[in-house]
Amino acid sequence: MTSTLVIQISFFVLAIASTASALGVIIFKNAVHSALSLILTLLFLALFYLQLGAMFIAIVQILIYAGAIMVLFLFVVTMLAPDASESEVRDPLRWQRIIAGVLGVALVGALSYLLFTGVATQSIVTTAGVNSLSHMVDTRGNIEAFGLALFHGFAFPFEVTSLLIVVAILGALVFGRRT
Amino acid sequence: MPLSAYLIMSAILFSIGVVGVLIRRSPLVIFMSIELMLNAVNLSFVAFSKFLDTADGQMFVFLVLTVAAAEVVVGLAIIVSIFRTRRTIDVDEMNALRG
Repeated sequence: MTSTLVIQISFFVLAIASTASALGVIIFKNAVHSALSLILTLLFLALFYLQLGAMFIAIVQILIYAGAIMVLFLFVVTMLAPDASESEVRDPLRWQRIIAGVLGVALVGALSYLLFTGVATQSIVTTAGVNSLSHMVDTRGNIEAFGLALFHGFAFPFEVTSLLIVVAILGALVFGRRT
Repeated sequence: MPLSAYLIMSAILFSIGVVGVLIRRSPLVIFMSIELMLNAVNLSFVAFSKFLDTADGQMFVFLVLTVAAAEVVVGLAIIVSIFRTRRTIDVDEMNALRG
């Protein structure tokens, strides 16, 4: 009973913290501050993944997202816009922000309404028996369960990602070449 | 926690990303908002994976992560090359296909 309470408290703390840091991404004037706030959001999301029992995804989130991708972001931000404060004075479309805020609140409301009234989330059919994730995690461990699922059911998509990465590298080379 | 709590958390983060794309003028911050939206979807994938008791959702998160990395590499390269030719990265200034 106490563990449920701990999970609930940690969920609400994480929810408030990640919402605040995500708002920081779009509110901060300086792009560097936005990037740092996004790193904080990604770390909070990694804690969400830990709470959901997805150990490998949580570690990969910290390594790849908060580490590699955001370092790339910070490189470009500091290179292009070291003192990038968006000019607030000559913004010709100021009304756009108010409308965007109203529409964002409407989007949250609509999505939450659909989640509550659409599919009955209580009566979802879970996988049972030896193929279920919890059974695999119990018998083989977390990383092994992930790897078995990846290479048994998703081997072809996994191989296709290598093609995607090669194409991305070629694209970055073509754009980065000085002509 | 019920599944809907995680899904609503994911919806809130996604909407913050959408609002960020709509109100900001710097393409870098717009890119960060897109990353935020991808991560919001990842959260709901992991939540579904937990509550359906199958590893498929985590596979999708893995693939989304790869696509996000590739997208960031190409997108930042495009932004850098726009900055090289125009010396500005305000999206309101980018109104010509051939610069």
